[in-house]
Amino acid sequence: MLRPAVLARWAVLALILVIVFVPMYWIVVTSLKTGRQILLSQNVYAPQPFTIDNYLYLFEESRFALWFRNSAITATASTLLSLLIGTAGAYALTRLRFPGRRTFGAVVLVTYLVPPGLMFIPLYQTFIRMGYTDSLGTLILAYPTFLVPFVTWLLMGFFRSIPRQLEEAAMVDGATRVQALFHVVLPLATPGLLAAGLFCFTLSWNEFLYALIFIADDSLKTLPVGLSEFVVSDFAFWGQLMAAAALASLPVIVVYIYLHKYMVQGLTAGAVKG
Amino acid sequence: MLTDRHRERLLGYTMIAPVAIFLAALVAYPFLSAIYLSLTEKIVGYPAHFVGFRNYANLLDSGRFRIVAWNSAVFTVASIAVKLLIGMAMALALHQVVRGNQFIRGILLLPWIIPTVVIALTWKWLLDLFRGLVNVSLIDLGVVKSGVHWLGDPSLAMLSVVMANIWRGFPFFGVSFLAALQTVPQELYDAADVDGAGSWQKFWRITLPSIKGVVAVVTLLSTIVTLNDFNIVWIMTRGGPGAATHIFATYSYELGIMSQRWGVAMAASMASLPLVALLIVGVVRYLHREEE
Repeated sequence: MLRPAVLARWAVLALILVIVFVPMYWIVVTSLKTGRQILLSQNVYAPQPFTIDNYLYLFEESRFALWFRNSAITATASTLLSLLIGTAGAYALTRLRFPGRRTFGAVVLVTYLVPPGLMFIPLYQTFIRMGYTDSLGTLILAYPTFLVPFVTWLLMGFFRSIPRQLEEAAMVDGATRVQALFHVVLPLATPGLLAAGLFCFTLSWNEFLYALIFIADDSLKTLPVGLSEFVVSDFAFWGQLMAAAALASLPVIVVYIYLHKYMVQGLTAGAVKG
Repeated sequence: MLTDRHRERLLGYTMIAPVAIFLAALVAYPFLSAIYLSLTEKIVGYPAHFVGFRNYANLLDSGRFRIVAWNSAVFTVASIAVKLLIGMAMALALHQVVRGNQFIRGILLLPWIIPTVVIALTWKWLLDLFRGLVNVSLIDLGVVKSGVHWLGDPSLAMLSVVMANIWRGFPFFGVSFLAALQTVPQELYDAADVDGAGSWQKFWRITLPSIKGVVAVVTLLSTIVTLNDFNIVWIMTRGGPGAATHIFATYSYELGIMSQRWGVAMAASMASLPLVALLIVGVVRYLHREEE
């Protein structure tokens, strides 16, 4: 016999699971319906018969594959760029002594906290002045404005947790500092690098505001923008749109399966923002 | 000949240079020039001229901006309050019932992972007047006779965008709180049991004080992001009906991108800055305290 308190907790948990589950169920169910079922509100809760036409449509008659490609290029390139710049910065800020180090560390944290909703118009103006809008390169440069401070901040935590003595021992043995970085510190920081990279990929893959504003050329649109403008002549386009929504979520869900155990570490470090 | 100390400095500056240059060019410069531009009048085709605080004064005088500021406050406060509640319930339930089971925790964090655009589109479709799951099931259950105008009625539209925002955001609260709960020593609860404390008392006297740092940081971080949200509102309602769900970022978009009124748009972008700056100071202070 369960105590009422325990029962209440199970009920809370079950309710929250249902809340999380319903919208995801709605995506999948809709994506498997025929246009007719959607239009006439037939078989609302489960498609009967179900069809994969919506998915086929995406590849045969929409620019889904192109958007997918643009998103993949942008997310990968901005992730690599941010990792490169951010790792160097984080190492310098945690391991090297130079005047201005503490101040700069604080600047990085503050930069990380400035929300894109506040920065998009200023940044757009800057890109217009540079004459560099409407290219995937614009986004590859724009995303690191929030990714670099994030990587730097996250990795500073990881570097701090690696004992200095290991590096010093390598240097006593004749390694230069840079060799010690590559052979001692970076291998030990691999979980951190991996987490930072996967996070960056997810954030870039999901980014919408900058991509919406900086890119006008239809053939350069990323997935979120493509989805938001998904209009087809068919009145019951929700089937195709939900199929696209499911496929657009798939890469980050796959990434997430690997990322999950690192994610909670990042969360508790206060390094990730909601 | 360089001394070791000089060499260390030189290497330090070299390694920090890419971050510094990048942030100077694409964060500091845009930001400072935005502040300058917000003090000018700029119409496409003519050079900008300095107008002092006129753009800000015009904003404060405009009825539309006041609605936007009010909406942003309602959107943020309502979202954060409910995210805190559900997040805390989720953390406590997960911690006490299944000891933070990794699989369930993983499932519950999914809304936070999938693209916000997908979430906003899905909620728009869930709340569709004639075919959305919400209205269809409310009618099937006999709760309402005809579909509810979720996105067409001004106050329901605000409720709808808040719901979507909560759905996206509460797992982050829950998982962060759960991680914090797992660091609270069990001995504290055992001692309280000996003293005959009830679970409500234990929550207020032990649990909450132990995790208040995490609660504060998570709340502050989420407030900054929610106050400047764009995606959910833009996709679900475009700020409508009328200006019922128009918030800071959608308003800046309207002024800058749709009307090309750069001066006013910059002023609008900077409108939430004083509050955001305060919140950022709060986060930085908390995180530094935790470090020490």
